[in-house]
Amino acid sequence: MTPYTPGEPAPRDRPAARTGIASSQDLAAQIVLVARGDAAAFDAVFEQLGPAVFGVVKRVIRDPAQSEEVTQEVLLEVWRSASKFDAGRGSATAWVMTLAHRRAVDRVRSVQAESERERRVATADIPFDEVIEAVESSLDRERVRRCLNSLTEVQRESVTLAYYRGYTYGQVASLLGVPTGTVKTRMRDALIRLRDCLGVAE
Amino acid sequence: MKKLTRASQRDEHTLAGAYAMDAISAPDRERFERHLTGCQECAREITSLREATALLGTAAAEPLPASLKERVMAAAAVTRQQPPADEAITEPHTRSTRASTRARAAARVGPWLRSLTWPGRLALATGGAAAAAVLAVAIVFGLANGSMQQQLDQAQTSSQQIAVVLTAHDAVMTTGPVTGGGTATIVMSHARHALVFTAQGLRTLPASRGYELWLIGPAGTRPVGMLPAGSHGMTGPVIASGLRQGDHLALTDEPAAGSAHPTTPMMLYVPL
Repeated sequence: MTPYTPGEPAPRDRPAARTGIASSQDLAAQIVLVARGDAAAFDAVFEQLGPAVFGVVKRVIRDPAQSEEVTQEVLLEVWRSASKFDAGRGSATAWVMTLAHRRAVDRVRSVQAESERERRVATADIPFDEVIEAVESSLDRERVRRCLNSLTEVQRESVTLAYYRGYTYGQVASLLGVPTGTVKTRMRDALIRLRDCLGVAE
Repeated sequence: MKKLTRASQRDEHTLAGAYAMDAISAPDRERFERHLTGCQECAREITSLREATALLGTAAAEPLPASLKERVMAAAAVTRQQPPADEAITEPHTRSTRASTRARAAARVGPWLRSLTWPGRLALATGGAAAAAVLAVAIVFGLANGSMQQQLDQAQTSSQQIAVVLTAHDAVMTTGPVTGGGTATIVMSHARHALVFTAQGLRTLPASRGYELWLIGPAGTRPVGMLPAGSHGMTGPVIASGLRQGDHLALTDEPAAGSAHPTTPMMLYVPL
């Protein structure tokens, strides 16, 4: 267990201050502390992943007020179910971001009629452009941008429509005008490629 | 990459990418999860793909809106955590409150309440009810944790009124310092013309003295009541109803039996 002073966000003695896998060990340790009711550890997790949770939730949901609401739900869920985190089954970041993304997707799907969403997205820009524009200095973002660029166009579009917009593979297929089987395959291929490019350990 | 024995399993597994991105309908998700339980290698692949999607997520990070952290921390302080064992009760949503959370609430709610600022009212627009519920639990615990049975009785009789204020749609929570030491917290509902007052860390008074709460305004000076002393430095709650336009809330040190009018300098005087 990484020792740290309660109230301090996280040990900063290594280049792990940014969010992402580099700090995953610290984060995992903190989630374990959160499960024991450690409010300072929760604070640290919040500081590290709160903006990422809000960012991904907002990308999927769009509406700022609803995004805030879901972000709160997700972070409270982290507090509540920290004991369910199993470091042997992925990083703390992946655990939290999975909770966040799924909760956001569930929200949009329960709120909006699918047909309405499809109609709206048909006129929308491909979200990848926004991702690219939003990219600034963060190393994670640089890495993600580089790796997204290494995908084929259909792969990239499949991933961005699915992940950042929260569409099902069926919806992505109709948006891109390709068979669902093709989209399923492209999505898996794309994520495998992204995984390898991002250097995420299995 | 892997040898799959059956064609159906292979078909099933092409959903791995869609599943890892939640790009899958609820029935498909269930079906795929059943598939995962029977295929360790598939589960490992999902784990690794989730690492990739997590980075897609962190790349989208945005600054958090102000006050979101306070709200989450306050809610966490009164939200019971799931036990590690798998016999946990699974609830679809995390909601604060209820008696079972009191013990945890008391341990943590204090610092977060204190982190709010005094003159700046914290209008808890959407999170109002939740935040108020947070306070409700803190208050009820503070009282229940007191040593005197009388306090418990009072808590029970007034808890309904208190709950009405705390859960009002327009409940506003304010907190700030008390002259002479301690922190006061007020949850007020204009719609209900009422407020709930509680304090922490007030200076200990001799047994012959007590803290008395007042409403002072154009309608006159009305005693609200004596603050019940609790343990762990928690005082209250006291409900003040019948608020009028222009009222102030005041706190003074009075004989234990109470006074009809304030007889000592006010250690708190807040416009409502």
